[in-house]
Amino acid sequence: MSLAERQPATRRIHVGQGENHVTSDPDVMLSTILGSCVAACLRDERAGVGGMNHFLLPDSVGNSNDPAAAARYGAYAMELLINSILRAGGRRETMTAKIFGGARMFDDLQNIGGNNAIFAERFLRDEGIPIIASSLGGRSARRIHYWPATGKALVRAVEDADAVKASERKRVREATPVVDGAVELF
Amino acid sequence: MPAASAINALIVDDQLTMRALIRSTLQQMGVTNMRDAGDGEEALARLAERPANLIISDYNMPNMDGLGLLRAVRANPDTRKAAFIMLTGRADKELVQRAAQFGANNYLVKPFTLMSLKEKVEQVFGALT
Repeated sequence: MSLAERQPATRRIHVGQGENHVTSDPDVMLSTILGSCVAACLRDERAGVGGMNHFLLPDSVGNSNDPAAAARYGAYAMELLINSILRAGGRRETMTAKIFGGARMFDDLQNIGGNNAIFAERFLRDEGIPIIASSLGGRSARRIHYWPATGKALVRAVEDADAVKASERKRVREATPVVDGAVELF
Repeated sequence: MPAASAINALIVDDQLTMRALIRSTLQQMGVTNMRDAGDGEEALARLAERPANLIISDYNMPNMDGLGLLRAVRANPDTRKAAFIMLTGRADKELVQRAAQFGANNYLVKPFTLMSLKEKVEQVFGALT
């Protein structure tokens, strides 16, 4: 048997901002790069299914009429991931979480990364999902590799964070995710 | 113009966080009479204890989903007149159509704004004071 036959080919799936991916395939590795953003990696060990999301909360500070807008967006991002795991056979009661990201990437903006991290920790605590590992805060961007079938996660600092910073700065400015769909029935 | 104090709301969502967010949003609108439930079955138990005139329910829940709850609410003479607002995901166009067929009064797409929830409630009840 050749080495190639013995080693299963890892299929790498990138999870971009606003996305989530759930799988039970042992050959799938989910990857993402995080600055201020947070990625929650949730998994039900018994069902052997898990997934990752990647979100950046909108800046609700400027909207004093709706201070909970960011939390509603974050809760929705988490709900999408949890529901996908439930649909794939996982159970909420036996889910565990690993959370990453939330770095302070900008000096000239509010601590968006810190707020993202606080939200994720609070959400998981309130929903009763144990956080079994985390790497949050700091000033460095992170590269995350996560294998949902086993729960293994690798975190590496991204040395050249300029591209991450530029991309996030643009997304922070453009972030207007709280919008309604339109289905004219009522 | 109805008073917000006349609203007796039941909030149904399997996420505690989302229930708390809806509760705080309704509070900002002046609604004070609220209860909540974690799924459709629990919601029916709450309604059996005491009726509600506004039900805001998520669709995707364990045990009994939002459509199941809507059908049960409309089938029961004690609850069928309650206003029902269904919370949906952005991609659930088919669900919105089914909710309308089953008698939902309105729907709201997550993640919603304070203004959009207020608008939906006022479309059902009229402007609140």
